Amino acid sequence: MGKARKPIQIVILFLILLLGGYAIGTSVFGGDGKPHEGSKAPSFELLGLDGLTHTLDEYMGQPVVLNFWGSWCGPCVKEMPALQAQYEKWKDEGVVVVGVNVGEDQMTVENFVKLVDINFPVIMDTGRDAVRSYGVSPLPTTVFIDGKGKVDSIHIGQLDLDSLEAQIGKLVDP
Amino acid sequence: MTSKEPLVSNTKCECGHQNPVGTVLCEACGKPLDEKELGAEGNLEMRYDGVARRSQRVNPGLIDRVWNFFSSVKIAIYLIVLTLLGSMLGTIFPQESTFLNIDASTYYKETYGRAGNIYYKLGLSHTYESWWFVTLLVMIGASLVICSLDRVLPLYKALTRQKVRKHRQFLTRQKAVLVTPLTAEPEAWVAGLIEPLKKKGYRVKIDGSALLAEKHRFSRWGPYVIHIGLIIFLLAVLARGLPGLNMDQHLAFQQGEATRIPDTTYYLKNEQFTVEFYSDEEMPEEFRGKKVLPKLYETKAVLYECTADCTDPSREPQLSEVTSHDIRVNSPLSYKGLKAYQFDYDLTPVLRSVQPVLVNTATGEGYSKFRLDMKNPERTFQSGPYTLSLKEKYMDFGLNDEGQPASKSPYPNAPAFLFLITGPGLPEEGQQYFYFPKQLDKEQFQQQAINDRLGGSGRFLELEVQDMSDVDFAASTSYLNIRIDRAMPFVWVGAGIVMLGLILGFYWQHRRIWLRVEDGELVLGGHTNKNWFGFRREIVAILQKVDLIVDEKSLDNGGGLA
Amino acid sequence: MSLLDFSSDVFIVAFFLYSGAFMLYTIAIMGRRWSGRKPEEHTARFGKIAFIASSLGLICHFAYFITRWMGSGHIPVSNMYEFMTFLSMMIMVAFTVIFAIYRKIILGVFAVPVSIIVMAYAAVFPQEVQPLIPSLKSIYLNIHVTLAALGESFFAVGFAAGLMYLLRTVNFDSTARSDRKQQRLVEFTLFSIIVIIGFLGSVFAFRGAGYESVFVRSDVTIDSAGQGDSTIEKVSYKMPPIVAPYQSETEHFQPFLGIKEPLFEAPSWMNGVNAGRKFNTVIWSLLSGLILYGILRLIIRKPLGKAIHPVLDGIDENDLDEITYRAIAIGFPIFTLGALIFAMIWAQIAWGRFWGWDPKEVWALVTWLFYSAYLHLRLARGWQGRRSAWLAVLGFLVVMFTLVGVNLVIAGLHSYAGTD
Repeated sequence: MGKARKPIQIVILFLILLLGGYAIGTSVFGGDGKPHEGSKAPSFELLGLDGLTHTLDEYMGQPVVLNFWGSWCGPCVKEMPALQAQYEKWKDEGVVVVGVNVGEDQMTVENFVKLVDINFPVIMDTGRDAVRSYGVSPLPTTVFIDGKGKVDSIHIGQLDLDSLEAQIGKLVDP
Repeated sequence: MTSKEPLVSNTKCECGHQNPVGTVLCEACGKPLDEKELGAEGNLEMRYDGVARRSQRVNPGLIDRVWNFFSSVKIAIYLIVLTLLGSMLGTIFPQESTFLNIDASTYYKETYGRAGNIYYKLGLSHTYESWWFVTLLVMIGASLVICSLDRVLPLYKALTRQKVRKHRQFLTRQKAVLVTPLTAEPEAWVAGLIEPLKKKGYRVKIDGSALLAEKHRFSRWGPYVIHIGLIIFLLAVLARGLPGLNMDQHLAFQQGEATRIPDTTYYLKNEQFTVEFYSDEEMPEEFRGKKVLPKLYETKAVLYECTADCTDPSREPQLSEVTSHDIRVNSPLSYKGLKAYQFDYDLTPVLRSVQPVLVNTATGEGYSKFRLDMKNPERTFQSGPYTLSLKEKYMDFGLNDEGQPASKSPYPNAPAFLFLITGPGLPEEGQQYFYFPKQLDKEQFQQQAINDRLGGSGRFLELEVQDMSDVDFAASTSYLNIRIDRAMPFVWVGAGIVMLGLILGFYWQHRRIWLRVEDGELVLGGHTNKNWFGFRREIVAILQKVDLIVDEKSLDNGGGLA
Repeated sequence: MSLLDFSSDVFIVAFFLYSGAFMLYTIAIMGRRWSGRKPEEHTARFGKIAFIASSLGLICHFAYFITRWMGSGHIPVSNMYEFMTFLSMMIMVAFTVIFAIYRKIILGVFAVPVSIIVMAYAAVFPQEVQPLIPSLKSIYLNIHVTLAALGESFFAVGFAAGLMYLLRTVNFDSTARSDRKQQRLVEFTLFSIIVIIGFLGSVFAFRGAGYESVFVRSDVTIDSAGQGDSTIEKVSYKMPPIVAPYQSETEHFQPFLGIKEPLFEAPSWMNGVNAGRKFNTVIWSLLSGLILYGILRLIIRKPLGKAIHPVLDGIDENDLDEITYRAIAIGFPIFTLGALIFAMIWAQIAWGRFWGWDPKEVWALVTWLFYSAYLHLRLARGWQGRRSAWLAVLGFLVVMFTLVGVNLVIAGLHSYAGTD
């Protein structure tokens, strides 16, 4: 007993330090489980307007602009031309703009796409799964994901052409 | 082993036993080791039987210092008191976690004024998640582990190697003491005590004319059992936060629809939600007509598990029922660790589909019914000779800033549909027709007038729902709290162990009686960790059996009764 | 006569039996000098009669409990009235248990009135039987509430014994600084009890007189859509309003001693209409407590502590110290089981989380931590006796705040317990 005493003390203190550090760490930095700048972008598996299933993985290596929108949300409608313009400008550089419709049915989405005249890929989050995993609450919210699948920045609210360009520029040429 | 440590002269007792540093009473004979203590009077310090705690040693290093810090009961008490005060602070205003949706940075200021703002700024609005509170809990955990380890092993050793014959001073300085002349033959007299002691449940050991009787030693382990239970409890609470062990979400379940539970393969269907209130007869007179008391909230729920096509959104998942339960408050649905609790409800009906018919208002003739879903409707319908193709659809009809028709929300509060009808008697390119399924909306948005404008004066077609059975709606929405908490069993095990330890430690007492008969004198010393009153009474009763009459009070050797 | 009527009648019988038992216990102790008999004989004789009276009272109290249970169909611990009556019953149970162990007649002089005060406090709340709301429909209502109350009752007996220890040991004749401090603290404790009695007295006096004044306040709140929403809140005062709710108008004012309007208005931070009413009650309690205390001082012409001190003459202080400790040691496991473990089990079943830092939960934890600290401190030298007795007194204050204060001051999930 006497000889093992010191090692036992060290092991116990180390375990306390480890568990305690974990406890304090999760309470202070653990937060809410939502992605934030620098964290890995959660994957998703959603049906596209094209009838195919899309995942985040298929854009691996490309910068992705993930725009959460709803047809009933005014600012979403207003920012669509900017997104379309930037999509056209950057698509040759490999930038992908993906519109994620939140909780609406196919017809609504189709009509909307026609109405605002966009042709970047649109996927439908009918079960609000991506909304939950990305922690989106107000619409529109735009998540900028770099080529390594990391969240570069999150923009809440309406985007304008210039800030969108700056953000994408940062993704392409960090 | 002890020989390697620097020898301190006073740790060797006159009885020949070599005691570790920090020993108060000789481990063997119980003689006080400290010279000062030896000369003193009054009760002996019997904590941990006077053995050295593990942490007590000469020349402590850093590790020893940290260890000593946490092994101190004084520190433990400080930690308890600080946690107590911290907990109190957190109840001054409601915690942020009480609310599902607030902006804390403005809420406290608006609701509670400047005090609320200070409260928020100090971080007290989330006291129990703050770094300092969690740190206190962690330190209490450390103190529990180290305090226990530091004491339980030496105490175990001391109690298992007790000597029967103790130093005279050890006996006379207990809190229950009897010194009385005795003329009887010592060994025979002592032997006569065995029976009465055994009857009272004591285990008796004899060494010539000295005796040690002991019972309920297990009670001494009570505090350590409590501490072990608390450690398990705290670890289990910590483990709850590990990814995958815990899920907590509030979901809405519309009546009649199997809704997927995210992050699982389960679907839950709310077959019916019921809310009942107490009738006037069931209420006390004072409340009648004044108060409404709910009687029952119940969701008849069916749980399905997806068996195939679960993740592919382009296919319909295959579901099979696994269990069903009438969820009430205090009666959650439970299936393999997944639990669904009644949380809230909404009795606003939600329209799902209607089955209108096309009616020729000129002839009064009605054509065949078709089914119009609010969500993912068909694009073309046939009613009699007419073809209706759906052009536009609004879930919550309204006008946007530009005065264009638009949906105000994704919820079917005021659904509206724009059809293009083609068929006999209509223009070649068809006729547009705006349809509001809800009667209220028809009037509010003036369906008639809109269609008159779209279809012109010769318009003769109307969409009508002929029977209420053609309207399908979810009567209510039930909000359930879906939880998975895989660490819960360990929480309960911890709590159970705490309880066991409490019962062991508080409802039994470790009682020991030492006595020696020498030179025509009986010297008796007794020690218990609680309830001296009952102990003294027991000693008196035992001595009475051997015709030694003693007054209960005379055993009391004074001192605080710990 | 219905079960419920019988129940409330037998409750009143229990109340009077307790009051009688209290007087008998007092006679047993106080009368030992002037009874002509030997003091021990007198105490034993009257002590026995007193114990029979308090036990009969407890039987009646049980009868109240059982008949109310049968009459209402659920265990009568579901609102403040029922809980307080149950708590007073448990205090008598705890007293009886401790009395059976230690046979100290004097304990009756201090523990029985605690139960009587709690019983009287129960009568402040509305007494009608209410049907159970869904969240209370659970077997854990029976287990959690009863065990918690039983544990707390032992703490109450610990409080009584601790106070006795202080009254016994504080040197009331000394003018030394430390003794003066102790005298003042004991006097303050006794004064606080007088204030509670003053509160009860004024509640029942004004209720007996049928006093009522009504205030209204209209609040305009702007909701998120910009719509103004006005709510009219009414508050009925059962005591003459010394202080009116913040920004309220008098709807009906019953004059009292020539006062025709409230003397002042509650400060703005007391923003609920009921906050003003509660504040008014506090003022009345303090006022009547002060008057009562003043009268007592005028009669006995010395501090109350000093007056009570001789009653405890000849009682072994170590026994009192042990009774305090023992009562708390018996109550602690019961309290842990009832107020924490079963509370957690119930919370897990009803709300899906075993612990939510709800104010009531936190205060149960605070109580538990307090007594844990007490039990650890007993291990330390110098914390038996005087300090330990103070902790026992203070601990019961924590218990009462958990039971009553949390419901009155802090709202939370337990606020349905019917506080007014």
